Amino acid sequence: MAATDAELTALVIATRNDAAFGELIRRHQALVRAMLQRMCRNHALADDLAQDTFIRAFEKIGSFKGTGTFKSWLCSIAYTEFLKSARKRKSTERVLEKFKTGVDDVEAPRDMGNVVDLDRALATLKEDERAAVVMCYSCGMSHSEAAEALKMPLGTVKSHVNRGRAKLQAFFAEAEVTV
Amino acid sequence: MTMDDAFDQRLKAAFADAQAPLEAPSEADIFTDKVVKRLSSPNRKRVLILGGAGSTGSAVAGTQLEGVFSSMPVPADGLLSNVAFLMSPEAMAAFALALAAGMVAVILPRRIV
Repeated sequence: MAATDAELTALVIATRNDAAFGELIRRHQALVRAMLQRMCRNHALADDLAQDTFIRAFEKIGSFKGTGTFKSWLCSIAYTEFLKSARKRKSTERVLEKFKTGVDDVEAPRDMGNVVDLDRALATLKEDERAAVVMCYSCGMSHSEAAEALKMPLGTVKSHVNRGRAKLQAFFAEAEVTV
Repeated sequence: MTMDDAFDQRLKAAFADAQAPLEAPSEADIFTDKVVKRLSSPNRKRVLILGGAGSTGSAVAGTQLEGVFSSMPVPADGLLSNVAFLMSPEAMAAFALALAAGMVAVILPRRIV
């Protein structure tokens, strides 16, 4: 029987076992990468941030208390890495412009119809709304888990999710009318 | 929790579709290997900084130690009666620098948990 996340985490904390941590990476990499791809709208950057997320998680795994799920803990680290990267990006207007045009210029030719639609829809949300929606719908977190990961009050996260969801619904409704 | 109506189901399905290609075993293995390699190889920048600091410390300590040994008195009444030379400012500075260099070289490169 495969070891649970809790068992693997305990093994990594006790022995710094690379193989056990590798198994945790294998289990959660898709979730973390998908979350970062939806937030960054740039696949290469998202993968770099996902790598940094796992390295950071390995370094500070001793601080994982097991009160929430390992998945939620990882997503909160990923969000912190995303914020750090976003701050760096905002330091130069030229780089920011490059990322603003990233969805249309880089993602469109990938031949992944629904993914591109989803990314375009998410691009219409404010940053906080997008983060809250991605945490709840992509990572499957509850509102309270998302509030903890985003370091926002629960009420704020609920309104971000509701507002973001309404905007996405309007976006898809409009897209269907156009088609 | 989310509302779980028809639109919610559609939204969750869209996110799941976007994540599906990343769940392929080959994709997972490639990504995992990259991260595990980074875990086992220490950061090059960190090694360069620590190596540079250690080398500088050793060089300074070496120049101080030269002064200590050149002014060493010849023991006349046994070693213990001349042990006071170890308390000279040069000697104390040399030991302090050697200790700092040793800490940089041995303790800091270890991964801090």
